[in-house]
Amino acid sequence: MRTRARILLLLLAVLLLPVTASANKATSYTYTLDQKYRFVRTQDAYLPDKTITTLGLSKPADLFIDESGTLYIADSGNRRVLLYDTARGQVKNELSHPGFSSPTGIYVTREGQLYVADPGARKVFQFDASQALIREYDKPASPVFSDIRYEPMKVAVDAGGNLYIVGEGVYHGVIQLGKEGEFLGYFTVNQTRLTFSQALQRLIFTREQLTNLVDSVPITFSNVFVDPAGITYTTTMSIRYNALKKHRTDGANMFIDRVISTEALSDVWVDARGIIYAADQSGYILIYSPAGELIFNFGSNVSNLDVAGLFSRLPALAVDKQGIIWALDSEKGYVQSFAPTDYANTVYDAMGLYEKGEYQASLLQWNRVLRLNQMSVLAHNGIAKAHFHNEDYEQSIGHFRVAGNRAMYSEAFWELRNTFIQRWLPPFAMGAVALVIFNFFLKRYYKKRGMRSLSNRAWRALCKTPVIKDVLFAFVTPRHPVDAFYEVRRKREGSVLGATILYGLYFVIFMLYQTSKGFIYQFVQVEDMDITALVTGYFLLIGLFILCNYLVTSINDGDGDLAQCYMIPAYSLMPVMGAFLLILGLSYTLTYSESFILSIILLAGVVWTLITLFLALQNVHDYSFRETIRCAILTLVFMIIAVIIVLIVLIMGEQLLEFLRTIYEEVLRNIYA
Amino acid sequence: MRKIIVFLLLLLLLFSAAGMEEVYVPTQRDTKPAPALAKMEQPSLDAYTLLYETNSAVYYWREDRDILAVLDKANGYVWKTGADIGFSKQIKDAVKQAKTDEEKLIAAEPIEKSMNATYIGVANSLITIEYRDGKIFYLGSAAEKNVDSTLQAVPGTDNQFVLAVDFKEIDLQLKVYVTLLEKGLQYEVPIADITGSGKSVFTALWITPFLGASGGEAEFYDPATGDYGDTRAKYAVPGYALVPDGSGTLIRFQDNTVPFMEYIGDVFGPDLSTETYFSTRETDALATKNPTMPVFGIAHGNQQAAFVAYAEQGAEYLDIIMRPEENLRLKYNFCYPRFEYNVEFYKVYNRKGSGYFTKAEDLFQYDVKMTYLFLHGDGSDGSPSADYSGMAQAYRNHLIEKGVLTKLPNQEGDLPLRLDFILSDMKKSLIGHEQVITTTVGDVREILDEVINLGITNINAGLIGWQAGAETLARPDSWRFHSKIGREQDFKELFEHFAAQGVDISLAREYATINPRMTAYLGTAAKHINTWYNSNNREELFPAAPVTDFAFALPTVAADWLREIARRAAPFSQSLTISGISNLLLSSYDRQGVTLTLGQSMAAYREAMQTLSEQLRLNLEAPNVYMWQATTRFLQAPVGSSQYVFETDEVPFLQMVLRGTMEVYGPYSNFSFYTQEDILRMIDYNVSPAFILSKQPAHLLSETLSSGLYSTEFEQYRDLITRIYKQVNGALSQVQGFEWLARKVPANGIVVNEYKNDTDTARIVINYTMQTQQVEGQTIPPQSAVVIREVSE
Repeated sequence: MRTRARILLLLLAVLLLPVTASANKATSYTYTLDQKYRFVRTQDAYLPDKTITTLGLSKPADLFIDESGTLYIADSGNRRVLLYDTARGQVKNELSHPGFSSPTGIYVTREGQLYVADPGARKVFQFDASQALIREYDKPASPVFSDIRYEPMKVAVDAGGNLYIVGEGVYHGVIQLGKEGEFLGYFTVNQTRLTFSQALQRLIFTREQLTNLVDSVPITFSNVFVDPAGITYTTTMSIRYNALKKHRTDGANMFIDRVISTEALSDVWVDARGIIYAADQSGYILIYSPAGELIFNFGSNVSNLDVAGLFSRLPALAVDKQGIIWALDSEKGYVQSFAPTDYANTVYDAMGLYEKGEYQASLLQWNRVLRLNQMSVLAHNGIAKAHFHNEDYEQSIGHFRVAGNRAMYSEAFWELRNTFIQRWLPPFAMGAVALVIFNFFLKRYYKKRGMRSLSNRAWRALCKTPVIKDVLFAFVTPRHPVDAFYEVRRKREGSVLGATILYGLYFVIFMLYQTSKGFIYQFVQVEDMDITALVTGYFLLIGLFILCNYLVTSINDGDGDLAQCYMIPAYSLMPVMGAFLLILGLSYTLTYSESFILSIILLAGVVWTLITLFLALQNVHDYSFRETIRCAILTLVFMIIAVIIVLIVLIMGEQLLEFLRTIYEEVLRNIYA
Repeated sequence: MRKIIVFLLLLLLLFSAAGMEEVYVPTQRDTKPAPALAKMEQPSLDAYTLLYETNSAVYYWREDRDILAVLDKANGYVWKTGADIGFSKQIKDAVKQAKTDEEKLIAAEPIEKSMNATYIGVANSLITIEYRDGKIFYLGSAAEKNVDSTLQAVPGTDNQFVLAVDFKEIDLQLKVYVTLLEKGLQYEVPIADITGSGKSVFTALWITPFLGASGGEAEFYDPATGDYGDTRAKYAVPGYALVPDGSGTLIRFQDNTVPFMEYIGDVFGPDLSTETYFSTRETDALATKNPTMPVFGIAHGNQQAAFVAYAEQGAEYLDIIMRPEENLRLKYNFCYPRFEYNVEFYKVYNRKGSGYFTKAEDLFQYDVKMTYLFLHGDGSDGSPSADYSGMAQAYRNHLIEKGVLTKLPNQEGDLPLRLDFILSDMKKSLIGHEQVITTTVGDVREILDEVINLGITNINAGLIGWQAGAETLARPDSWRFHSKIGREQDFKELFEHFAAQGVDISLAREYATINPRMTAYLGTAAKHINTWYNSNNREELFPAAPVTDFAFALPTVAADWLREIARRAAPFSQSLTISGISNLLLSSYDRQGVTLTLGQSMAAYREAMQTLSEQLRLNLEAPNVYMWQATTRFLQAPVGSSQYVFETDEVPFLQMVLRGTMEVYGPYSNFSFYTQEDILRMIDYNVSPAFILSKQPAHLLSETLSSGLYSTEFEQYRDLITRIYKQVNGALSQVQGFEWLARKVPANGIVVNEYKNDTDTARIVINYTMQTQQVEGQTIPPQSAVVIREVSE
């Protein structure tokens, strides 16, 4: 027997994909926010990696990971701190101190000093890198602090050795101690949140009554963290917005926009890139950009399964230098880790490059993100911003649109429009001047020859056609409302047919206005609109006005009959409809900064229409000013009453239909079941 | 002369030196090296009587504890169907009554610490029943009291016995027929032999729950003090249980420090019509994977002794249960089959949803047939080895024997590539709905041409969303086309054009899930046991989709829909792609009771598929075993488990069973299945790559029910398709047509798959680690796969 080896070396350089966690292994979906700020699913950002169930933990409460990959676990139930070597997958050391009662918070400094917060012992312990006790931080002696409970739950330490302590039941804020244990004050405090009834009480109660009320106190913090750059972060429970804060040195919140989160944030960690990781104790992990934008959210509150990646209770997390998230399950006593996918890492890289101003490099990374998730708002935004900074506005605008970023779309559009204007303004202006000159000479020519232009003649002939004349009369009423509606009263102008056509036209304009504005101003997407509400709203409003106005004027000696009441809105609405049309057109050409123009147009249209309507009522019904006001108010009141009646009828009708449907279903169930 | 050629295919790359220092710490998704060797001591069988002997095994019976002992002649190993432990009180009484120290020592069996009398009864018993009378109770056939059981030979046979059990506590009688095989056991429980008024509370039956159990903690007798006192752990056999979670999962026997829940593998998935509530809701946690096969096994030691067990009848009502040590605070690891006969459900009596919990009036009507085969050794004698590879081989042999699987004629050439196309889906519009089109027939043609030009020729494809109304609004049997996607003639031309080039294209459709906008439920939707239509809400997953509430089609109706599509497609298509009904099995009820049992549903699907498979190839998405006979292509094969934290290893058990009988494709590589580790796993698990593609970008689908397809645009995937296919094909095409013999793990992160055909043997060594490894004299670079092929001359 002879053996021959043939070796084929296929060194495929193209295979240099980052080796990250992979595949088909997620146990919960990853969510992100879409352009409408809805939580939507996205490619897996993190995948369950390791689940360590063999440490014998009892109610573990906190963990920390240092640069060497050693995991420090506050094993509260066993009164110890466990040191676990994540690289080798084995326990490294166990720190038990006789003073430990229920250690629930730990922090390790760059120098390897370990701080352990123990609410049971009412102390913070400080150990050196070899886990020898350095000192114990007891309750500060400051008189300011004498009435305050001192049960340190969580601790963080800045580069100067100052301690930031979250104390059990301390609503005054985060306790700040100096290196020597002196009380420096409260670093930051949550704002007091009043319920609606509390706010009402504050508004209407007397001072005596208010003193009898129980004081509203701020919500306590749930955790505190000092990142590698020395910035302090806190988390708060029971609030959905701004539960995560990034603090300036004076304690103020650095996040400008509202930070969206779940309601039970229990821990926060920030890595060297500034990426913020927050834990929600019901089993979610949330990841934010340095600016507080939510990037990913994964996990689940399904806690009745012993499945990797799911938690019964998640009190703490930490992130190692490879970006792997380590998290605790305090009820089950597990440590679980999550490895970032290629998708998550690419997102972080792209964000980092963008922050550094390396737009071209970030563009490449964002395009990779987009390859993995073409629905990624982050990627579309990132690509668009990178293009924007590269002054490639044409490329950026499409991505801003997909990302739903109207503000930046508007910026890019302004640039494009500017370029367009610069390029086309001279020829356009010259053309306009030429047209004016041409028109001037044409008119002179016709005048000289005593001729009217063909189009002019045709137009005049068309205007005399009865129905068209009645429709076009809507252009006369806003300009000469008194005269025009006098003619309506005399039944010399306007017709029911004309008004009907106008209502049809208005409906088209109204629907176009609602659905087809330019991207910047079209805030509600067509698929999110309630067509029934729009159609019913339009016709119901007009119908009710006509009916109520007729009823009111019938008993108030109004001259107008039903047909005239029917015509009043039709011949009064033209200004606002004109405004709609104008806004519709302009919405494609104006940017955000010019939105005031649209507001003015709309306001003008509405005011003009209201004036026309008022004058229409006055003239058609031959009312004095005061009578008109009374008529308008009564019409409005009648409309409200009618709306209530209609709603009652609708609800009852719906219930009747539901009742009939139930009977039908029951019949079917009894026949076929 | 024998010539040995070694092909080394280095399929991946050398990574940074920094990473090479790290130790490979395996996760539960890896397969770890084999367990330690088990002690092969033969226990005393003095309390047992000989029942029967074959060439391979000797069978004994212990009447007082209802335990069968099987002595494997090949290795002398003894399997006991029960834990063989005495009741504490009885032992202590016996010790008290013993007169001499010697008698005391004989009587002083260790006393089990973690079990009460009920559980000791269960641990010994051949069968155990579960009954629900307010709460759940367990009663073993060898319970301490209130149960009579007798084993008698079936007249006229010498290897068949019947155990008649009378559970007097609830007045329930049943008979278990036991057949002693050459080296195995077979249990049959006919429904006709379950009698007595206790049927009204009887809910489930367990068979030999402690067969192969490992662990235990006992109190030992101290002759010096004449009393019990020394508590210590009993010998825990090293080994694992194999459960059919996903592709196959091992749960190693461990001494756990925290209590775990149990693994419950509801074979073929839960019957939604007999779940507690008629209404279900999809959540942000992914559903756990349902077993597609009614099989499990236990291995003791390293290729020393094992058994594989599978249900031949009653599989649709089977739960495979594995209880890791500390579950129920028991100190044992044990695994067993549980057959369900009745369920508690919430009976709704008004539209508000008020109701009460109750049980069905009748038991589920089916017979149980469960077979256990005992395995020994490393397979060098040609028999299946005593590990999960051998279990797969034994189960595969059984399926081949029953005609469920058929070996394909020897295959050679390139591996197939699966390309599915998402053509369209529906989103809300101002008025009604709008069909979002992402790929037209012309686009499919263009993309396929391009892929062929990339040098990939063995392709098959499925078209999803081809109907007017797409998957969301078109009833599954609708034959209306959307002109903007393509007319019927366009599809026909497309299919025929590519069929000539050997590319098989099929119409894909999900047949099980329906909604009220798609079809009326009357006569089409399955009803829950409480007679309401099953309801499934998916709003959390698809907040913007036009429909979020669903029901499920009656299996008979879905089968008719499938036949209708097949009838229309057959003239121009070679295959059909089917999902939904391939792995969703459910019954239906009305006020009189069951109108369609699980067995009838299976039969309806099987019959439809069997007929269709005679004229069309059927590509089924993750089909259950009863569909395999008609399956040509197994799509979306799981390559992992549900990841219960107590699961220790993932193994390609499913793929080993299916090897060489059909084409098996992995999950879409678009979605987190494209990294180097994933490519290695495709090679390791012997699955072909699959992608889902479109011409237009996927963000167009964001407001549809296809919003989970985050990225599908072909433009983005051209390179990745080539890259992944070439690597996987480069390795696996070398062993096309080979039998997969074994899978070994010499060290953490290293897998060796062994293959052979009539003349050659081959091994694929997969190195998942970041270090260069030396395996069997070969240098394996980091994160790479190497094919070593030996050719006989």
